Amino acid sequence: MSAGVKTEVEIEAGRQRLRLWVTSGPGLVWIMIFLLIPSAVLLGIAFFSSNDYGSPVLPLSVQSFQQVAGYSLLGWDPGNIIIFLRSLKQAGIATLVSAALSYPLVFFILSRPESVRPLLLLFIVLPSWTNQVVRTYAWMELLGPNAPVSWVAHLLHAVPPDLGLAPGSFAVTTGLAYNYLPYMIVPLYASAEKLDWTLVEAGRDLYASGARLFWHTVFPQTLPGLLSGVIFVAIPAFGDYVVPQLLGGDKALMIGSQIANQFTETPDWPYGAALTIIMLVFTGMGLVGFRILTRKLGGAEEATI
Amino acid sequence: MIPRGVRYALSGISWPLYALLYTPLALVAFYSFAPAPNQAGHSLHAYGVLLHDGAVFTALRRSLILAFGSAITSTALGTLLGYGLCRFRNANAKGVLAHIPSLIIYTPIIMPGLVFGISELIFFNFVHSATGFLGAGLQTMIIAHITFQVPYVALTVFARLAGLDPYLFDAANDLYADGIKSFIHLIVPVVQPAIIGGFLLGITLSIDDFTISFFTAGPGSVTLPIYIYSAIARKGISPEINALGTMMIGSIILLAIIHFFITRHRERAGQLTPTGKIA
Repeated sequence: MSAGVKTEVEIEAGRQRLRLWVTSGPGLVWIMIFLLIPSAVLLGIAFFSSNDYGSPVLPLSVQSFQQVAGYSLLGWDPGNIIIFLRSLKQAGIATLVSAALSYPLVFFILSRPESVRPLLLLFIVLPSWTNQVVRTYAWMELLGPNAPVSWVAHLLHAVPPDLGLAPGSFAVTTGLAYNYLPYMIVPLYASAEKLDWTLVEAGRDLYASGARLFWHTVFPQTLPGLLSGVIFVAIPAFGDYVVPQLLGGDKALMIGSQIANQFTETPDWPYGAALTIIMLVFTGMGLVGFRILTRKLGGAEEATI
Repeated sequence: MIPRGVRYALSGISWPLYALLYTPLALVAFYSFAPAPNQAGHSLHAYGVLLHDGAVFTALRRSLILAFGSAITSTALGTLLGYGLCRFRNANAKGVLAHIPSLIIYTPIIMPGLVFGISELIFFNFVHSATGFLGAGLQTMIIAHITFQVPYVALTVFARLAGLDPYLFDAANDLYADGIKSFIHLIVPVVQPAIIGGFLLGITLSIDDFTISFFTAGPGSVTLPIYIYSAIARKGISPEINALGTMMIGSIILLAIIHFFITRHRERAGQLTPTGKIA
Protein backbone atom coordinates (compact mmCIF):
# COMPACT_ATOMS: atom_id res chain seq x y z
CA MET A 1 0.00 0.00 0.00
CA SER A 2 2.73 2.41 1.02
CA ALA A 3 4.61 1.59 -2.18
CA GLY A 4 1.53 2.55 -4.21
CA VAL A 5 1.22 5.87 -2.41
CA LYS A 6 4.88 6.56 -3.01
CA THR A 7 4.62 6.00 -6.73
CA GLU A 8 1.63 8.28 -6.85
CA VAL A 9 3.70 10.96 -5.13
CA GLU A 10 6.48 10.29 -7.59
CA ILE A 11 4.13 10.53 -10.55
CA GLU A 12 2.83 13.82 -9.20
CA ALA A 13 6.40 15.08 -8.73
CA GLY A 14 7.22 14.08 -12.31
CA ARG A 15 4.12 15.87 -13.55
CA GLN A 16 5.12 19.00 -11.66
CA ARG A 17 8.62 18.86 -13.12
CA LEU A 18 7.17 18.48 -16.61
CA ARG A 19 4.94 21.51 -16.01
CA LEU A 20 7.93 23.49 -14.79
CA TRP A 21 9.79 22.61 -17.97
CA VAL A 22 6.89 23.35 -20.31
CA THR A 23 6.27 26.76 -18.77
CA SER A 24 9.69 28.08 -17.89
CA GLY A 25 11.71 26.05 -20.39
CA PRO A 26 11.13 28.15 -23.53
CA GLY A 27 12.17 31.42 -21.90
CA LEU A 28 15.23 29.95 -20.21
CA VAL A 29 16.36 28.12 -23.35
CA TRP A 30 15.85 31.29 -25.38
CA ILE A 31 18.14 33.30 -23.10
CA MET A 32 20.69 30.47 -23.12
CA ILE A 33 20.81 30.21 -26.90
CA PHE A 34 20.74 33.92 -27.64
CA LEU A 35 22.79 35.29 -24.79
CA LEU A 36 24.72 32.77 -22.72
CA ILE A 37 26.18 30.90 -25.69
CA PRO A 38 27.02 34.11 -27.61
CA SER A 39 28.76 35.67 -24.62
CA ALA A 40 30.69 32.43 -24.02
CA VAL A 41 31.79 32.58 -27.68
CA LEU A 42 32.86 36.21 -27.24
CA LEU A 43 34.92 35.38 -24.18
CA GLY A 44 36.44 32.33 -25.89
CA ILE A 45 37.59 34.43 -28.84
CA ALA A 46 39.98 36.29 -26.52
CA PHE A 47 42.21 33.21 -26.44
CA PHE A 48 42.68 33.03 -30.21
CA SER A 49 45.25 34.79 -32.36
CA SER A 50 44.01 37.35 -34.85
CA ASN A 51 44.68 37.32 -38.59
CA ASP A 52 45.21 40.34 -40.84
CA TYR A 53 41.46 41.05 -40.92
CA GLY A 54 41.20 40.94 -37.14
CA SER A 55 39.27 37.67 -37.16
CA PRO A 56 40.09 34.94 -34.64
CA VAL A 57 42.32 32.13 -35.93
CA LEU A 58 44.29 29.27 -34.35
CA PRO A 59 46.70 28.84 -32.59
CA LEU A 60 45.41 29.70 -29.15
CA SER A 61 47.41 32.44 -27.49
CA VAL A 62 47.36 35.06 -24.76
CA GLN A 63 48.67 37.67 -27.15
CA SER A 64 45.45 39.68 -26.93
CA PHE A 65 45.81 39.99 -23.15
CA GLN A 66 49.37 41.25 -23.60
CA GLN A 67 47.90 43.80 -25.98
CA VAL A 68 45.39 44.84 -23.29
CA ALA A 69 48.25 45.30 -20.82
CA GLY A 70 49.87 47.62 -23.35
CA TYR A 71 52.59 45.41 -24.85
CA SER A 72 52.98 45.40 -28.63
CA LEU A 73 55.74 45.27 -31.23
CA LEU A 74 56.36 48.93 -30.56
CA GLY A 75 57.00 48.44 -26.86
CA TRP A 76 54.85 49.27 -23.84
CA ASP A 77 52.08 51.82 -24.01
CA PRO A 78 49.97 52.95 -21.03
CA GLY A 79 46.99 53.80 -23.27
CA ASN A 80 44.65 51.09 -22.03
CA ILE A 81 45.51 51.65 -18.39
CA ILE A 82 44.71 55.33 -18.80
CA ILE A 83 41.42 54.43 -20.47
CA PHE A 84 40.53 52.04 -17.64
CA LEU A 85 41.38 54.59 -14.97
CA ARG A 86 39.44 57.26 -16.82
CA SER A 87 36.39 54.99 -17.06
CA LEU A 88 36.60 54.24 -13.33
CA LYS A 89 36.92 57.96 -12.58
CA GLN A 90 34.00 58.96 -14.81
CA ALA A 91 31.76 56.23 -13.40
CA GLY A 92 32.83 57.13 -9.86
CA ILE A 93 32.10 60.84 -10.23
CA ALA A 94 28.80 60.17 -11.99
CA THR A 95 27.79 57.87 -9.11
CA LEU A 96 28.75 60.46 -6.49
CA VAL A 97 26.88 63.21 -8.31
CA SER A 98 23.74 61.14 -8.71
CA ALA A 99 23.86 60.09 -5.03
CA ALA A 100 24.31 63.72 -3.93
CA LEU A 101 21.34 64.80 -6.07
CA SER A 102 19.20 61.84 -5.05
CA TYR A 103 19.07 62.56 -1.31
CA PRO A 104 17.42 65.98 -1.54
CA LEU A 105 15.12 64.78 -4.34
CA VAL A 106 14.00 61.67 -2.45
CA PHE A 107 13.28 63.54 0.77
CA PHE A 108 11.62 66.32 -1.16
CA ILE A 109 9.21 63.75 -2.63
CA LEU A 110 8.64 62.23 0.81
CA SER A 111 7.87 65.66 2.25
CA ARG A 112 4.97 66.03 -0.17
CA PRO A 113 1.44 64.59 0.32
CA GLU A 114 1.22 60.88 -0.41
CA SER A 115 -1.13 61.37 -3.36
CA VAL A 116 1.35 63.40 -5.45
CA ARG A 117 4.44 61.30 -4.68
CA PRO A 118 3.98 58.79 -7.54
CA LEU A 119 3.66 61.65 -10.00
CA LEU A 120 6.81 63.38 -8.68
CA LEU A 121 8.68 60.09 -8.95
CA LEU A 122 7.35 59.55 -12.47
CA PHE A 123 8.72 62.92 -13.60
CA ILE A 124 12.19 61.92 -12.42
CA VAL A 125 12.09 58.58 -14.21
CA LEU A 126 10.44 59.89 -17.38
CA PRO A 127 13.51 61.33 -19.16
CA SER A 128 15.17 57.92 -18.94
CA TRP A 129 12.35 56.38 -20.98
CA THR A 130 13.23 58.51 -23.99
CA ASN A 131 15.80 57.02 -26.30
CA GLN A 132 19.46 56.87 -25.18
CA VAL A 133 20.66 58.68 -28.28
CA VAL A 134 18.07 61.46 -28.09
CA ARG A 135 18.60 62.30 -24.43
CA THR A 136 22.37 62.21 -24.88
CA TYR A 137 22.54 64.37 -27.99
CA ALA A 138 20.28 66.82 -26.13
CA TRP A 139 23.27 67.43 -23.85
CA MET A 140 25.48 67.97 -26.89
CA GLU A 141 23.29 70.96 -27.66
CA LEU A 142 23.07 72.21 -24.08
CA LEU A 143 26.84 72.04 -23.50
CA GLY A 144 27.95 72.72 -27.06
CA PRO A 145 30.07 75.74 -28.10
CA ASN A 146 27.14 78.01 -28.96
CA ALA A 147 24.98 77.42 -25.89
CA PRO A 148 24.66 79.76 -22.87
CA VAL A 149 26.24 77.23 -20.51
CA SER A 150 29.48 77.40 -22.49
CA TRP A 151 29.37 81.22 -22.54
CA VAL A 152 29.38 81.15 -18.76
CA ALA A 153 32.27 78.69 -18.87
CA HIS A 154 34.13 81.09 -21.17
CA LEU A 155 33.62 83.97 -18.76
CA LEU A 156 35.06 81.83 -15.98
CA HIS A 157 37.93 80.82 -18.26
CA ALA A 158 37.03 77.18 -17.67
CA VAL A 159 37.26 76.39 -21.39
CA PRO A 160 39.08 78.23 -24.19
CA PRO A 161 36.89 80.42 -26.41
CA ASP A 162 35.35 78.74 -29.49
CA LEU A 163 35.22 75.46 -27.61
CA GLY A 164 32.21 74.19 -25.71
CA LEU A 165 31.96 72.01 -22.64
CA ALA A 166 30.98 69.22 -25.00
CA PRO A 167 32.80 67.22 -26.19
CA GLY A 168 34.93 66.64 -23.11
CA SER A 169 35.13 64.74 -19.86
CA PHE A 170 32.83 67.20 -18.03
CA ALA A 171 30.13 66.49 -20.61
CA VAL A 172 30.64 62.72 -20.21
CA THR A 173 30.26 62.91 -16.42
CA THR A 174 27.15 65.04 -16.78
CA GLY A 175 25.68 62.75 -19.42
CA LEU A 176 26.31 59.63 -17.33
CA ALA A 177 24.82 61.18 -14.17
CA TYR A 178 21.78 62.33 -16.16
CA ASN A 179 21.28 58.93 -17.77
CA TYR A 180 21.54 56.89 -14.59
CA LEU A 181 20.04 59.24 -11.97
CA PRO A 182 16.72 57.30 -11.86
CA TYR A 183 18.65 54.10 -11.08
CA MET A 184 19.87 55.81 -7.90
CA ILE A 185 16.59 57.53 -7.03
CA VAL A 186 14.33 54.47 -7.22
CA PRO A 187 16.19 52.17 -4.75
CA LEU A 188 16.98 55.10 -2.47
CA TYR A 189 13.31 56.11 -2.45
CA ALA A 190 12.29 52.54 -1.67
CA SER A 191 14.45 52.46 1.44
CA ALA A 192 13.73 56.05 2.50
CA GLU A 193 10.00 55.32 2.29
CA LYS A 194 10.40 52.71 5.05
CA LEU A 195 12.42 55.06 7.24
CA ASP A 196 11.71 54.75 10.96
CA TRP A 197 11.08 58.39 11.87
CA THR A 198 10.89 57.64 15.61
CA LEU A 199 14.67 57.28 15.55
CA VAL A 200 14.97 60.73 14.03
CA GLU A 201 12.61 62.11 16.68
CA ALA A 202 14.67 60.46 19.41
CA GLY A 203 17.81 62.07 18.02
CA ARG A 204 16.07 65.43 17.95
CA ASP A 205 14.99 65.01 21.57
CA LEU A 206 18.65 64.53 22.41
CA TYR A 207 19.40 67.90 20.76
CA ALA A 208 21.35 66.45 17.84
CA SER A 209 22.16 69.07 15.20
CA GLY A 210 20.77 68.72 11.66
CA ALA A 211 23.93 67.24 10.17
CA ARG A 212 24.44 64.78 13.02
CA LEU A 213 20.78 63.85 12.92
CA PHE A 214 21.11 63.01 9.24
CA TRP A 215 24.39 61.19 9.65
CA HIS A 216 23.36 59.05 12.62
CA THR A 217 19.66 58.40 12.02
CA VAL A 218 18.75 58.91 8.36
CA PHE A 219 21.91 57.83 6.56
CA PRO A 220 22.31 54.37 8.17
CA GLN A 221 18.69 53.55 7.45
CA THR A 222 18.94 54.51 3.77
CA LEU A 223 22.31 52.84 3.28
CA PRO A 224 20.89 49.63 1.71
CA GLY A 225 19.07 51.71 -0.91
CA LEU A 226 22.14 53.84 -1.51
CA LEU A 227 24.35 50.79 -2.02
CA SER A 228 21.91 49.23 -4.51
CA GLY A 229 21.82 52.57 -6.27
CA VAL A 230 25.62 52.70 -6.42
CA ILE A 231 25.66 49.31 -8.14
CA PHE A 232 22.87 50.25 -10.56
CA VAL A 233 24.67 53.47 -11.55
CA ALA A 234 28.36 52.62 -11.39
CA ILE A 235 28.25 49.36 -13.38
CA PRO A 236 26.39 50.56 -16.48
CA ALA A 237 28.18 53.94 -16.35
CA PHE A 238 31.57 52.20 -16.36
CA GLY A 239 30.85 50.33 -19.58
CA ASP A 240 28.60 52.90 -21.24
CA TYR A 241 28.93 53.34 -24.99
CA VAL A 242 26.56 56.05 -26.19
CA VAL A 243 27.52 58.82 -23.74
CA PRO A 244 31.32 58.80 -24.25
CA GLN A 245 30.78 58.28 -27.97
CA LEU A 246 28.57 61.35 -28.39
CA LEU A 247 29.83 63.60 -25.56
CA GLY A 248 33.42 62.46 -25.11
CA GLY A 249 35.34 63.26 -28.23
CA ASP A 250 38.83 61.87 -28.74
CA LYS A 251 40.30 62.93 -25.43
CA ALA A 252 37.69 61.29 -23.22
CA LEU A 253 37.79 57.78 -24.71
CA MET A 254 36.25 55.26 -22.35
CA ILE A 255 36.53 51.49 -22.19
CA GLY A 256 33.18 50.97 -23.93
CA SER A 257 34.26 52.86 -27.04
CA GLN A 258 37.67 51.18 -26.98
CA ILE A 259 35.98 47.75 -27.03
CA ALA A 260 33.48 48.75 -29.71
CA ASN A 261 36.28 50.03 -31.97
CA GLN A 262 37.79 46.54 -32.05
CA PHE A 263 34.59 45.23 -33.62
CA THR A 264 33.72 48.10 -35.95
CA GLU A 265 36.32 50.59 -37.19
CA THR A 266 39.61 48.66 -36.87
CA PRO A 267 38.58 45.06 -36.31
CA ASP A 268 40.64 42.97 -33.93
CA TRP A 269 38.17 40.56 -32.36
CA PRO A 270 40.51 38.71 -29.96
CA TYR A 271 41.84 42.01 -28.62
CA GLY A 272 38.32 43.37 -28.20
CA ALA A 273 37.23 40.16 -26.49
CA ALA A 274 40.19 40.35 -24.09
CA LEU A 275 39.28 43.96 -23.26
CA THR A 276 35.72 42.79 -22.61
CA ILE A 277 36.94 40.10 -20.21
CA ILE A 278 38.99 42.61 -18.25
CA MET A 279 36.02 44.98 -18.13
CA LEU A 280 33.73 42.19 -16.89
CA VAL A 281 36.27 41.20 -14.25
CA PHE A 282 36.29 44.78 -12.95
CA THR A 283 32.48 44.87 -13.03
CA GLY A 284 32.23 41.50 -11.29
CA MET A 285 34.66 42.52 -8.56
CA GLY A 286 32.66 45.69 -7.95
CA LEU A 287 29.42 43.74 -7.81
CA VAL A 288 30.73 41.10 -5.39
CA GLY A 289 32.46 43.72 -3.25
CA PHE A 290 29.30 45.73 -2.89
CA ARG A 291 27.17 42.65 -2.15
CA ILE A 292 29.52 41.71 0.67
CA LEU A 293 29.43 45.29 1.94
CA THR A 294 25.63 45.34 1.77
CA ARG A 295 25.37 42.09 3.75
CA LYS A 296 27.82 43.32 6.38
CA LEU A 297 25.86 46.51 6.81
CA GLY A 298 22.70 44.47 7.28
CA GLY A 299 21.01 45.49 4.06
CA ALA A 300 17.80 43.59 3.49
CA GLU A 301 17.76 41.26 0.50
CA GLU A 302 14.95 41.97 -1.90
CA ALA A 303 12.48 39.18 -2.53
CA THR A 304 13.60 37.58 -5.74
CA ILE A 305 13.19 34.45 -7.80
CA MET B 1 8.52 64.54 10.38
CA ILE B 2 10.71 66.91 8.37
CA PRO B 3 11.11 70.36 9.96
CA ARG B 4 9.74 73.28 8.02
CA GLY B 5 13.13 74.88 7.38
CA VAL B 6 14.47 71.67 5.89
CA ARG B 7 11.34 71.32 3.76
CA TYR B 8 11.90 74.75 2.27
CA ALA B 9 15.53 73.89 1.59
CA LEU B 10 14.50 70.60 -0.07
CA SER B 11 12.00 72.41 -2.28
CA GLY B 12 14.58 75.05 -3.10
CA ILE B 13 17.01 72.39 -4.29
CA SER B 14 14.54 70.04 -5.93
CA TRP B 15 12.44 72.29 -8.16
CA PRO B 16 15.55 73.59 -9.99
CA LEU B 17 16.72 69.97 -10.32
CA TYR B 18 13.40 69.02 -11.89
CA ALA B 19 13.84 71.94 -14.28
CA LEU B 20 17.38 70.81 -15.05
CA LEU B 21 16.17 67.28 -15.89
CA TYR B 22 13.94 68.68 -18.61
CA THR B 23 16.21 71.48 -19.84
CA PRO B 24 18.11 69.41 -22.44
CA LEU B 25 14.86 67.90 -23.72
CA ALA B 26 13.23 71.32 -23.91
CA LEU B 27 16.24 72.63 -25.79
CA VAL B 28 15.79 69.92 -28.44
CA ALA B 29 12.20 71.08 -28.88
CA PHE B 30 13.27 74.75 -28.97
CA TYR B 31 15.84 74.16 -31.71
CA SER B 32 13.35 72.11 -33.72
CA PHE B 33 11.42 75.30 -34.44
CA ALA B 34 14.39 76.87 -36.17
CA PRO B 35 13.37 78.91 -39.23
CA ALA B 36 13.96 77.81 -42.80
CA PRO B 37 17.33 78.85 -44.25
CA ASN B 38 17.60 82.63 -44.83
CA GLN B 39 14.54 83.37 -42.75
CA ALA B 40 14.02 84.83 -39.32
CA GLY B 41 11.89 83.80 -36.37
CA HIS B 42 10.52 80.40 -35.62
CA SER B 43 8.77 78.00 -37.92
CA LEU B 44 7.61 74.48 -38.47
CA HIS B 45 9.97 74.20 -41.43
CA ALA B 46 11.94 71.26 -39.97
CA TYR B 47 8.72 69.32 -39.38
CA GLY B 48 7.71 69.90 -42.97
CA VAL B 49 11.03 68.56 -44.22
CA LEU B 50 10.61 65.56 -41.94
CA LEU B 51 7.13 64.78 -43.29
CA HIS B 52 8.53 64.47 -46.80
CA ASP B 53 11.49 62.31 -45.78
CA GLY B 54 10.75 58.73 -46.79
CA ALA B 55 13.78 57.38 -44.92
CA VAL B 56 12.40 58.65 -41.62
CA PHE B 57 9.08 56.91 -42.13
CA THR B 58 10.79 53.67 -43.10
CA ALA B 59 12.89 53.93 -39.93
CA LEU B 60 9.78 54.68 -37.85
CA ARG B 61 7.99 51.65 -39.31
CA ARG B 62 10.98 49.44 -38.49
CA SER B 63 11.20 50.83 -34.94
CA LEU B 64 7.52 50.03 -34.38
CA ILE B 65 7.85 46.52 -35.84
CA LEU B 66 10.88 45.99 -33.62
CA ALA B 67 9.18 47.29 -30.46
CA PHE B 68 5.86 45.47 -30.89
CA GLY B 69 7.28 42.29 -32.40
CA SER B 70 9.78 41.83 -29.61
CA ALA B 71 7.43 42.93 -26.81
CA ILE B 72 4.65 40.53 -27.87
CA THR B 73 7.03 37.56 -28.04
CA SER B 74 8.84 38.44 -24.82
CA THR B 75 5.53 38.92 -23.01
CA ALA B 76 4.49 35.38 -23.98
CA LEU B 77 7.84 33.82 -23.06
CA GLY B 78 8.27 35.91 -19.93
CA THR B 79 4.75 35.33 -18.60
CA LEU B 80 5.14 31.56 -18.94
CA LEU B 81 8.59 31.75 -17.38
CA GLY B 82 7.50 33.82 -14.39
CA TYR B 83 4.39 31.68 -13.94
CA GLY B 84 6.30 28.40 -14.09
CA LEU B 85 9.01 29.49 -11.71
CA CYS B 86 6.51 30.70 -9.14
CA ARG B 87 3.83 28.00 -9.43
CA PHE B 88 6.08 24.97 -9.74
CA ARG B 89 8.97 26.12 -7.59
CA ASN B 90 8.69 22.95 -5.51
CA ALA B 91 9.54 20.92 -8.60
CA ASN B 92 12.73 22.90 -9.13
CA ALA B 93 16.00 21.07 -8.55
CA LYS B 94 17.41 21.17 -5.05
CA GLY B 95 20.78 22.49 -3.92
CA VAL B 96 23.08 24.49 -6.13
CA LEU B 97 21.12 23.60 -9.27
CA ALA B 98 18.10 25.46 -7.89
CA HIS B 99 19.89 28.74 -8.60
CA ILE B 100 20.32 28.07 -12.32
CA PRO B 101 17.02 29.63 -13.46
CA SER B 102 17.63 32.84 -11.51
CA LEU B 103 21.22 32.98 -12.79
CA ILE B 104 19.93 32.73 -16.35
CA ILE B 105 17.25 35.35 -15.74
CA TYR B 106 19.59 37.88 -14.18
CA THR B 107 22.34 37.59 -16.81
CA PRO B 108 20.63 39.80 -19.41
CA ILE B 109 19.81 42.38 -16.72
CA ILE B 110 23.32 42.59 -15.29
CA MET B 111 25.29 42.31 -18.52
CA PRO B 112 26.46 45.68 -19.85
CA GLY B 113 24.59 46.60 -23.03
CA LEU B 114 27.78 46.83 -25.02
CA VAL B 115 28.90 43.28 -24.13
CA PHE B 116 25.37 42.09 -24.88
CA GLY B 117 25.38 43.73 -28.29
CA ILE B 118 28.84 42.57 -29.33
CA SER B 119 28.14 38.99 -28.20
CA GLU B 120 25.07 38.95 -30.42
CA LEU B 121 27.00 40.54 -33.30
CA ILE B 122 29.62 37.78 -33.22
CA PHE B 123 27.10 35.00 -32.66
CA PHE B 124 24.84 36.03 -35.54
CA ASN B 125 27.92 36.51 -37.69
CA PHE B 126 29.08 32.94 -37.03
CA VAL B 127 25.60 31.45 -37.44
CA HIS B 128 25.11 33.32 -40.70
CA SER B 129 28.42 32.29 -42.23
CA ALA B 130 27.87 28.66 -41.15
CA THR B 131 24.22 28.18 -42.09
CA GLY B 132 23.14 31.17 -44.18
CA PHE B 133 20.34 31.91 -41.68
CA LEU B 134 20.02 34.94 -39.39
CA GLY B 135 21.79 37.54 -41.51
CA ALA B 136 22.04 40.85 -39.66
CA GLY B 137 18.83 42.80 -40.03
CA LEU B 138 15.47 43.37 -38.40
CA GLN B 139 15.18 39.67 -37.50
CA THR B 140 18.40 39.63 -35.49
CA MET B 141 17.42 42.89 -33.80
CA ILE B 142 14.05 41.42 -32.79
CA ILE B 143 15.75 38.32 -31.37
CA ALA B 144 18.16 40.45 -29.33
CA HIS B 145 15.36 42.69 -28.06
CA ILE B 146 13.28 39.68 -27.01
CA THR B 147 16.30 38.38 -25.10
CA PHE B 148 16.71 41.47 -22.94
CA GLN B 149 12.96 41.90 -22.36
CA VAL B 150 12.07 38.35 -21.24
CA PRO B 151 13.67 38.65 -17.75
CA TYR B 152 11.85 41.91 -16.98
CA VAL B 153 8.48 40.46 -17.97
CA ALA B 154 9.20 37.27 -16.01
CA LEU B 155 10.19 39.21 -12.88
CA THR B 156 7.08 41.41 -13.11
CA VAL B 157 4.76 38.41 -13.45
CA PHE B 158 6.64 36.48 -10.77
CA ALA B 159 6.37 39.37 -8.30
CA ARG B 160 2.64 39.58 -8.90
CA LEU B 161 2.08 35.83 -8.47
CA ALA B 162 4.31 35.60 -5.41
CA GLY B 163 2.05 38.12 -3.70
CA LEU B 164 -1.05 35.97 -4.25
CA ASP B 165 -2.81 33.74 -1.75
CA PRO B 166 -1.54 30.21 -2.48
CA TYR B 167 -4.94 28.80 -1.51
CA LEU B 168 -6.37 30.34 -4.67
CA PHE B 169 -4.76 27.55 -6.66
CA ASP B 170 -6.08 24.91 -4.26
CA ALA B 171 -9.53 26.40 -4.56
CA ALA B 172 -9.32 26.14 -8.34
CA ASN B 173 -8.19 22.53 -7.99
CA ASP B 174 -11.11 21.75 -5.71
CA LEU B 175 -13.44 23.09 -8.36
CA TYR B 176 -11.95 20.55 -10.81
CA ALA B 177 -10.07 23.09 -12.92
CA ASP B 178 -7.20 21.33 -14.64
CA GLY B 179 -3.88 23.04 -15.31
CA ILE B 180 -4.87 24.71 -18.56
CA LYS B 181 -8.31 25.76 -17.31
CA SER B 182 -6.93 27.28 -14.14
CA PHE B 183 -4.26 29.02 -16.19
CA ILE B 184 -6.81 30.63 -18.49
CA HIS B 185 -9.58 31.38 -15.99
CA LEU B 186 -7.60 32.09 -12.85
CA ILE B 187 -4.01 32.98 -13.59
CA VAL B 188 -4.42 35.12 -16.69
CA PRO B 189 -7.10 37.43 -15.23
CA VAL B 190 -5.27 37.77 -11.92
CA VAL B 191 -1.88 38.37 -13.53
CA GLN B 192 -3.30 40.52 -16.34
CA PRO B 193 -2.07 43.85 -14.89
CA ALA B 194 1.42 42.39 -14.58
CA ILE B 195 1.26 41.03 -18.14
CA ILE B 196 0.20 44.43 -19.47
CA GLY B 197 2.83 46.11 -17.32
CA GLY B 198 5.47 43.70 -18.60
CA PHE B 199 4.42 44.31 -22.21
CA LEU B 200 4.61 48.09 -21.79
CA LEU B 201 7.95 47.74 -20.03
CA GLY B 202 9.18 45.66 -22.99
CA ILE B 203 8.12 48.37 -25.44
CA THR B 204 9.77 51.05 -23.31
CA LEU B 205 13.00 49.06 -23.13
CA SER B 206 12.94 48.48 -26.88
CA ILE B 207 12.36 52.17 -27.68
CA ASP B 208 15.01 53.24 -25.18
CA ASP B 209 17.72 50.93 -26.50
CA PHE B 210 20.41 52.01 -28.89
CA THR B 211 23.56 50.02 -28.11
CA ILE B 212 22.16 46.52 -28.63
CA SER B 213 20.23 47.61 -31.72
CA PHE B 214 23.34 49.23 -33.17
CA PHE B 215 25.42 46.04 -33.01
CA THR B 216 22.69 43.68 -34.23
CA ALA B 217 21.44 45.88 -37.07
CA GLY B 218 22.26 45.20 -40.70
CA PRO B 219 22.64 47.66 -43.56
CA GLY B 220 18.93 47.43 -44.38
CA SER B 221 17.50 47.77 -40.90
CA VAL B 222 18.05 51.35 -39.87
CA THR B 223 15.65 52.19 -37.02
CA LEU B 224 14.95 55.68 -35.68
CA PRO B 225 17.73 55.78 -33.03
CA ILE B 226 20.27 54.45 -35.52
CA TYR B 227 19.06 56.95 -38.11
CA ILE B 228 19.55 59.81 -35.64
CA TYR B 229 22.93 58.53 -34.49
CA SER B 230 24.36 58.19 -37.97
CA ALA B 231 22.89 61.53 -39.07
CA ILE B 232 24.66 63.23 -36.14
CA ALA B 233 27.90 61.39 -36.88
CA ARG B 234 27.72 62.40 -40.57
CA LYS B 235 26.68 66.03 -40.48
CA GLY B 236 25.99 67.07 -36.89
CA ILE B 237 22.68 68.04 -35.35
CA SER B 238 20.18 69.60 -37.74
CA PRO B 239 16.73 71.13 -37.11
CA GLU B 240 15.21 68.03 -38.73
CA ILE B 241 16.96 65.77 -36.21
CA ASN B 242 15.68 68.03 -33.45
CA ALA B 243 12.15 67.82 -34.85
CA LEU B 244 12.40 64.03 -34.91
CA GLY B 245 13.82 64.00 -31.37
CA THR B 246 11.05 66.29 -30.18
CA MET B 247 8.38 63.98 -31.56
CA MET B 248 10.02 60.94 -29.95
CA ILE B 249 10.34 62.69 -26.58
CA GLY B 250 6.81 64.06 -26.80
CA SER B 251 5.17 60.74 -27.62
CA ILE B 252 6.98 58.90 -24.81
CA ILE B 253 6.05 61.56 -22.25
CA LEU B 254 2.45 61.57 -23.46
CA LEU B 255 2.18 57.76 -23.34
CA ALA B 256 3.74 57.60 -19.88
CA ILE B 257 1.35 60.20 -18.47
CA ILE B 258 -1.69 58.53 -20.05
CA HIS B 259 -0.59 55.16 -18.68
CA PHE B 260 -0.01 56.70 -15.24
CA PHE B 261 -3.47 58.20 -15.01
CA ILE B 262 -5.20 55.10 -16.40
CA THR B 263 -3.58 52.83 -13.82
CA ARG B 264 -4.29 55.35 -11.06
CA HIS B 265 -7.91 55.57 -12.13
CA ARG B 266 -8.15 51.79 -12.06
CA GLU B 267 -6.56 51.61 -8.62
CA ARG B 268 -8.99 54.19 -7.33
CA ALA B 269 -11.84 52.17 -8.83
CA GLY B 270 -10.77 49.35 -6.55
CA GLN B 271 -9.40 47.06 -9.20
CA LEU B 272 -6.19 45.08 -8.97
CA THR B 273 -3.09 47.19 -8.68
CA PRO B 274 -0.49 46.63 -11.34
CA THR B 275 3.00 45.88 -10.17
CA GLY B 276 5.32 48.84 -10.21
CA LYS B 277 7.06 49.38 -13.50
CA ILE B 278 9.60 51.94 -12.53
CA ALA B 279 13.02 51.04 -13.80
